[in-house]
Amino acid sequence: MRRFPWLAAMAVCVIALTAVLAPVLLLASPVRIDIAHRLGGASAAHPLGRDELGRDELSRLIWGARSSLTVAFGASLLAGVIGIGFGVLGGFFRGVVELLTVRTMDIVLCFPPLLLALLVVTVLGPGIGTLIPVLALLFLPGFTRVAYAGVLATRALDYVEAVRVLGVHPTRIMLRTILPNIGGPLFVQFSLAVAAGVILESGLSFLGLGVVPPTPSWGLMIGAARATMTQDPALLLWPCLALSGTVLSINALCDGLGERADPHGVVRWRRSGLLGALLPGLAPPAGAVLALADLTVAIETPSGTIHPVREVSLSVGAGETLALVGESGSGKTLTGLALLGVLPDAARVTTGAAWLEGREILRLDPAARRTLTGSRLAMIFQDPTSSLNPLHRVGAQIVEAIRAHQRIGRRAACIRALSLLRKVGIADPEQRLDAFPHELSGGMRQRVMIAIAIANEPRLIVADEPTTALDVTIQAQILDLLATLQRTSGLAMIFITHSLPVVAEIAERVAVMYAGEIVEEGAVAEVFAEPRHPYTSALLASAPDEGGSPPRPIPGTIPQPHALPKGCAFTPRCPRVLAACEATHPPLLAIAAGHRSRCIRATEA
Amino acid sequence: MLWLARRIGISICLVWIVASIVFLAIRLIPGNPAELLLSQGGVAPDPRAVTELKRELGLDRPLWTQYWASMDDLLHGNLGNSLEDGTPVMSEVLFRLPRTLELIFAAGLFAALVGVPAGTLAANRQGGLFDRFAGWLAGLALAVPVFVTGTLLILLFAVNLQWMPAGGYVPFLQNPLQHLVLLAMPALTIGAGLAAAVFRMTRSAVLDVARRDHVRAARAKGLSPFRVLRRHVLRNAMLPVVTVFGLQLGALLGGTVLVEYVFNWPGLSSLLVEAVNARDYTEVQGIVLVISVLFVALNLLIDLIYAALDPRVRLQ
Repeated sequence: MRRFPWLAAMAVCVIALTAVLAPVLLLASPVRIDIAHRLGGASAAHPLGRDELGRDELSRLIWGARSSLTVAFGASLLAGVIGIGFGVLGGFFRGVVELLTVRTMDIVLCFPPLLLALLVVTVLGPGIGTLIPVLALLFLPGFTRVAYAGVLATRALDYVEAVRVLGVHPTRIMLRTILPNIGGPLFVQFSLAVAAGVILESGLSFLGLGVVPPTPSWGLMIGAARATMTQDPALLLWPCLALSGTVLSINALCDGLGERADPHGVVRWRRSGLLGALLPGLAPPAGAVLALADLTVAIETPSGTIHPVREVSLSVGAGETLALVGESGSGKTLTGLALLGVLPDAARVTTGAAWLEGREILRLDPAARRTLTGSRLAMIFQDPTSSLNPLHRVGAQIVEAIRAHQRIGRRAACIRALSLLRKVGIADPEQRLDAFPHELSGGMRQRVMIAIAIANEPRLIVADEPTTALDVTIQAQILDLLATLQRTSGLAMIFITHSLPVVAEIAERVAVMYAGEIVEEGAVAEVFAEPRHPYTSALLASAPDEGGSPPRPIPGTIPQPHALPKGCAFTPRCPRVLAACEATHPPLLAIAAGHRSRCIRATEA
Repeated sequence: MLWLARRIGISICLVWIVASIVFLAIRLIPGNPAELLLSQGGVAPDPRAVTELKRELGLDRPLWTQYWASMDDLLHGNLGNSLEDGTPVMSEVLFRLPRTLELIFAAGLFAALVGVPAGTLAANRQGGLFDRFAGWLAGLALAVPVFVTGTLLILLFAVNLQWMPAGGYVPFLQNPLQHLVLLAMPALTIGAGLAAAVFRMTRSAVLDVARRDHVRAARAKGLSPFRVLRRHVLRNAMLPVVTVFGLQLGALLGGTVLVEYVFNWPGLSSLLVEAVNARDYTEVQGIVLVISVLFVALNLLIDLIYAALDPRVRLQ
């Protein structure tokens, strides 16, 4: 959310107010000709001098604003009223009415705008009376579309649907919701139309096809001043400045409002954030393919720095699967992205170390890091549909991954891609190679993503909810495939999921994450049979159970990363909370061999 | 292919609708063209002369007959003769058209060459110094109307510095260098605003695409940042840019009026202004039609380019 564009809004107000107040500002007459003093310089009575016919320049500028804004506001208002009417009618009744009101606008769009204006001016003759309807006609499609889109969006709202199902005509509720809904876009559309109106009016007047002299207009003034620009360039500059300044203010107002509405906001780019040197004596546990120690990720947000992943330590051995479970927003995915080195721009690793096959990777320079990413460690993403580039053929996207790490020719890479497709169980691999992602089913796309991940025979795969976006039957196939691949190549896998049945099926060990921290970690069988953290217990109780006991949802929600409790992050939802839980942040402690918990009551019976 | 046939069919329909509207617009003028043509200087025309001229122009025939004759002429590429000097409108249009197209092409080339790299760079360093400076410059370029830019360029380069002539036209074959010198200022004038628009579109499209999942997946393959940018960000970001850029170029057909006028560039748009001022209705009708046909054709071309860039469109 950015600040309201006060400066631009004030400039627009001052310009509009000056134009409105022109008659009471005690200005010299803008039309009184005084040939004897033509091109007269600045004086007390004429602060900006006189024009080529001896008229007062300042007065003409202000009255010119009046002509410009009359035309621009008039045309925008007319187009706005008719356009909203058309859009609402079209969106309301659909069918023939829609055709007549919304689709006919396409005809207006068939003409280049200035051309259409010229055509109408030819027919009706120049003058303010012509300009307003002409410009209104040009602006009509824009307003109609905004209103039409607003109505369609409102129609689709659940409660409007609900009212319709009840048999009530939704007219009243729609009228009450439409205007607030499209108010913002309409205001921007209106401002843009006013700016365009000012430009078009002055342009047409400049050509002698707009405002008729002696009525002052910036376009006419610029046109006239061109003839005397060698003698008096200031006469040319004033109206140019007034015109450009007006348009600039209105545009700045629109841009400011538009940016305010943009939910993404501006993320400041940061290059810094290098990790501190590795502490001496810190070494990876022997035998692990990947060991992660004290990983913390920070994200810059408009409301300050947050730490969605804090001091996460993990390790996973060859042929082993570690499941990383937790609710949405618990930091599972960010942990995976940090391992791969593909965090979003706003996020960075602030502390921690990660050893891949004994080599620290978080402190490698980006180029060296890239030689590992996609080859020694790879990632499978949640949504295969959005994770494949829709514009490139499937084969090209696999080949690209191969050739990023292997010095082989395109043909050889294609052959390799074919064998990969076969390996992930895609029928007709020759044809699929030339397919675009949208021509494949969801399950097939995920197989392609897996093919890309295993293209360079990685030692570790981070699978980020690889089955969540798929049908249940396909889910089982993909899980089978992953298990088979792991068995045959002995790779280590970090399997991110929120589904406990999946964990039981695929993983040997499980790490439970809550609000950016690991709260419990251990062998799957042990943790599931005897959870030693209340969050794990709650998670297990909330999962559908084959034994018949109904699932119990966890009360409350996960805390926001910028409003974490001082003590244990789970206290607001914990059934076994003590005063000590709220006072200090508990550490992750070993409670048995290979079993860790962050609960201070973990060892209680 | 069905898609293509449908799209071409729609374009032909649009041209027909436009031709009909232009036909009607001219005939619906209050007081009809013959009367207006003869009543120059505010003197009421001689009724007999009006009747004579109406007969001569075929305006006395029933509207339906006129319409058929007009459409028949159009199908044979005949736009009628100028009311002013009797020359065929088609030949005059074909003589002037290339000059306007050249201007649009030069401006478009400039805009694409400046706008796309600048927009990409700004998006890559969002909020950085270049981003803010270029954004500010683009805001300025979009706010200043073309005839103001043009006039100020003349004031600066032709009047004060005297580096360039203030305007005019020399055929390329007659003096290539002079031709290009004269082309530079009007092309730059149009190109500045256009480049600003391309810059903004590119910047926002790149920012939008860079956030998408497939870009993250591409980075996870270990591709170099440059390759990710070129193949996975820019390629996708160009889809909306191509569409809007094409529409903007289309709006320049006829939209070059002001610049041609400022720089004395005798293109099709200035011919239109001359025709409007002379109340030469057949010529206005002819020019508007030709430009509209080009506009529709350009839109068709944009759709084809879009389909070539985006495989998902080809299926529909």
